[in-house]
Amino acid sequence: MSPPQAPACTQDPPPDRLPRLARAQLHEVHAGGEDWASALAFAFGTVEAEQTRPILLLRPRRKGAALLPCGEGLRVLGVDPARLVIVDARNDAALLRAGLDAARSSGPAAVLIESWGTMREYDLVASRRLILAAEGSRIPVVILRGDAEPRPSAAHTRWTVSSAPSTPLEMGAPGATTLLVELVRRRGGPAGQRWRLEWNEEHGGFRELPLDTRSVNEEWDVEERGPPLPGTVVPLPAVRTRAPLRRTA
Amino acid sequence: MRQGLSCGMTLADARARCPDLATAPHDPVADARVLEQLAGAMIAFTPLVALDAPDGLLLDVTGCAHLFGGEEALVRRVVKDVGPTTRHALAPHAAAARALARFGARLGGKGDVRALPIAALELDEGALSGLRRAGLETLGDLAARPMAGLAARFGELAVSRLRAILGETGSPVIPVRLTDPIRLETRFPEPLGRTDDALEVVEDMLAQAARTMEQRQLGGRRWAVTLHRSDNQRRRLVVETGLAVRDPAAVMRLLRERIDTLSDPLDPGFGFDAITLAVLHADHLPSRQILLESGKEENADDVSALVDQLSVRLGEDSVRRLIPRDRHLPEKAQALVPALRLRGAPWPKPQGIPPRPLLLFDPPQPVEAIAGVPDSPPQRFRWKGRLHDVTLAEGPERIGAEWWLKRGGHMPGGAGETRDYYRIEDADGRRYWIFRHGLFSEKPDPRWYLHGLFP
Repeated sequence: MSPPQAPACTQDPPPDRLPRLARAQLHEVHAGGEDWASALAFAFGTVEAEQTRPILLLRPRRKGAALLPCGEGLRVLGVDPARLVIVDARNDAALLRAGLDAARSSGPAAVLIESWGTMREYDLVASRRLILAAEGSRIPVVILRGDAEPRPSAAHTRWTVSSAPSTPLEMGAPGATTLLVELVRRRGGPAGQRWRLEWNEEHGGFRELPLDTRSVNEEWDVEERGPPLPGTVVPLPAVRTRAPLRRTA
Repeated sequence: MRQGLSCGMTLADARARCPDLATAPHDPVADARVLEQLAGAMIAFTPLVALDAPDGLLLDVTGCAHLFGGEEALVRRVVKDVGPTTRHALAPHAAAARALARFGARLGGKGDVRALPIAALELDEGALSGLRRAGLETLGDLAARPMAGLAARFGELAVSRLRAILGETGSPVIPVRLTDPIRLETRFPEPLGRTDDALEVVEDMLAQAARTMEQRQLGGRRWAVTLHRSDNQRRRLVVETGLAVRDPAAVMRLLRERIDTLSDPLDPGFGFDAITLAVLHADHLPSRQILLESGKEENADDVSALVDQLSVRLGEDSVRRLIPRDRHLPEKAQALVPALRLRGAPWPKPQGIPPRPLLLFDPPQPVEAIAGVPDSPPQRFRWKGRLHDVTLAEGPERIGAEWWLKRGGHMPGGAGETRDYYRIEDADGRRYWIFRHGLFSEKPDPRWYLHGLFP
């Protein structure tokens, strides 16, 4: 008997819609170490999670400086920091086991698993287990892969995420979160689409920007976007009053 | 005591006599709790223990003293258990014992209650000074007078207290009623050779304990299972849950998890002789409605079971939640606490502060930066050997040091370094949170640090 087709594939969005990490599926998000915040923002911003239940973030022990999620930063992405439960695992095997247990229980709204490097334990079998768990509990499971080569896996979608230059605010201040997202692989569907997404700080949610950056930042071309002049101090309250921002573009 | 300190002294007096005195504010609630715990411990000496508010315990040792080798030996053991600062007294009844212990310091805690000062009646100051003015110093003086006259002049209370201390009326002891602990034991006629069999027995015991706890509306937070091996070895397994539970399956899952994480595995050896199960810590847990359609309990969905399971496997410090703290240094404005101890604390409403990054470095990473003097964002910086050109910048957001926590912080220059935070974007489109540690007016060559990553 052939294994049943993953039911969620039929619910995949049309390719022209904005990216989303659907429920009851396993998603892989690849990013470099320096783009890690972008990868997390993509996961938190697009995951289809229930709005009140906790979100589990599982992390392996990592060499070097620790990176902690910042509650205020999470709130910008529309996630209540009180919902976050952070689990630190000793090694990759413990990480996957904890991730599997988390995906099986129907308590959390979403399970995000961070991983770094090759992670030999993550293979077709491990990913298939995660999928079965996710299908059972109807929650999305996202595995974030830092500095990793794509490995064969059964995941429904695979994305690569990197930071993109933002639309500058007035007086050369960096704008809202902007990501460059590519759908590398999709089970049972076309892949290869790319998006440039900007986080909407007023209403939440990503919105799409044209992929060609030149057309957006016409007046901020390379010359003008050079290093800021010394001595120019951007007054914070003028820029960040939560009032509708006047875009320079 | 040796320095001449005593109860009721003013703090200034006490400090004058003993300058390095450690002081703490009075916490009556905590005191009462300690007293209750002490009362529980005194059960070892007598079944009748009563609280004697606010800071005393009454032990009815009738018929118990001979078990410890006489009254003297019993008192020595009790004082050893409680602590050397205890004052004690033995008397035929409770009121006399209380009076002797509290006011019989001169008599050494025993002797005739008639020699006690009239303060032992614990009347208000007006009545006591009235008694003293009448020339009555001891209870003996008072007892020699006719009671009716005393009651007329100093109130009914004086007479009833006096009669209680003299033993003319009864002074009943109202013992503390301790709830019996939930503890089950199973002994086997033949040792059990397989761990699985033993665990099945544990499951039965858990179901039994659940029934007991349901009657009392309790749920266990800490469970201990002790496996007694026939060669007198004992293995103790303790599991803890974040919420009170009494579902045998949930506790069983945690126990199996605990067994899996043991450093030396559970070895039945020649078999287990007996198994004991104890609920070490229980909380109130009302009965819950069971839903008809699913057979599950209402409101049973949550991550608490998952948190318990992962806390047992990975250690409780590995499963944590973010809580806000009322500090303004970014790394101190939040804390990670074990999720087992605390369910999500609500975060306050955003206060209109400039944006914070999604990820914070702990500790901040030193970077080399080129920036204009005194208050400009960096134009380029080197992090991990890579040069980043800054294209966009916002700031500074100036965050001062917490001078009020520092000794001498209010003095000029004593506060510590102010930080100037900039939100910057480099040519690759990555956004960073970078700060200069110290103003140029504070130190000649302030360092730059990378503190966070914006998405």
